[in-house]
Amino acid sequence: MNALQPDNRIACHECDLLMQRPQIQGDQVVNCPRCGSRLISSHPNSAERSLALALAGLILLLPANLFPVLTLEVLGRQQEQTIFSSAMVLYRDGLALVALAVLLFAILVPLCKLLLLTYLSGALHLRRRWPLLPLAMRSYQHLDQWGMLEVYLIAVLVSVVKLVDIADVHPGLGLYSLGALIAVTALSSSQLDPDLFWHQIADLGDPVERVETGHE
Amino acid sequence: MNSWRHGALAQGLLRCHDCSALWPVSLEGHHCPRCGAPLHSRTPHSLTRTWALLLTSALLMLPANLLPIMRVTMLSSQGDASTILGGVIELTKHGLWGIAIVVLAASILIPVGKILALASLLIAIQFGKATNLRQKMVMFRIVHWIGRWSMLDIFVVGILVALVQFGNLAYIVGQTGALAFAGVVVFTMLAANTLDTRLIWDRHLQEASIGSET
Repeated sequence: MNALQPDNRIACHECDLLMQRPQIQGDQVVNCPRCGSRLISSHPNSAERSLALALAGLILLLPANLFPVLTLEVLGRQQEQTIFSSAMVLYRDGLALVALAVLLFAILVPLCKLLLLTYLSGALHLRRRWPLLPLAMRSYQHLDQWGMLEVYLIAVLVSVVKLVDIADVHPGLGLYSLGALIAVTALSSSQLDPDLFWHQIADLGDPVERVETGHE
Repeated sequence: MNSWRHGALAQGLLRCHDCSALWPVSLEGHHCPRCGAPLHSRTPHSLTRTWALLLTSALLMLPANLLPIMRVTMLSSQGDASTILGGVIELTKHGLWGIAIVVLAASILIPVGKILALASLLIAIQFGKATNLRQKMVMFRIVHWIGRWSMLDIFVVGILVALVQFGNLAYIVGQTGALAFAGVVVFTMLAANTLDTRLIWDRHLQEASIGSET
């Protein structure tokens, strides 16, 4: 690290307390002594774990979106529903912005998060300086809270309860894939070590730049 | 209470919001040399922006709860418009108390609670005394974490509308209330994001320094 950036210290993002960077070994969690926020959640091989989970997530994303989540049967007639169709019917009813919100929060943001995570952890695992790594990491962090697959799953369960008295509701393959996908994405968020990722991204940075600033 | 002075800003450092690298405060307004994010020691116009987003969501609460979020047409009942609260009452009539409480919490209690909690934090930063700081942080973290769960009702509307498509037999259409409600959820989430919690601690620092001078 260069002289401009005192890397032996860290600051809390929620209360601005400046402190010595603690010595970290293995899987360890460091909380702010003043406000209690999570400072570092360390996972030594975070890149490898994230890569495996992100790839699993990308595979599960296909059946979760292609197969029907629920099927409703009324007097012998069947109606299937996928995540995509629950967004499209809102567009049909003139609620284009709501349709866009469902499309973003339940399909596009989870997809982008998994793609970004694959790209990032792939680059860090292979130690390749692929382009735009800092931008990818920043995008991932900003998108994080807008992926709402688990909320969607609870919404499916609420819908089942609402419909079960009126008609026959059958869970589809999409529902099981969705459940597995949520398990994988939740695990990938818990195994991500942003502090380690940023340091590895910086270490992959332009070597010329590092020599220039490294001897101040 | 010397530790209150140990803020990064007090020692001439600012923390990159995105990659958490520390830089001298002279880089304020520049881009982070490590990750390229704009550097600010505190979120710019945090209080004004949070108030604006909070007022927007508070106003949207009215149409979100008064307008129907969907219209259910069935053989028995023609064109039953259903508001959020109406849907909860409908569930209790069928004896589904557990799910009624979940929907009530996600759709009404959480959005109202979030708006009140964020407003109380803003008032505390601007006018109040800097007390119970850790409790305030816990409240903020709950507000920040729980926000996304209010999208529950919007997803339910989408799923019901997509499933109940049986022509004259049974038919559900989405209504404008859903738009207002989605607005409430998105704007409260943005409000929680723009509130810089370090301002809560800055206020305490101010009070402590005034106290030590007198």
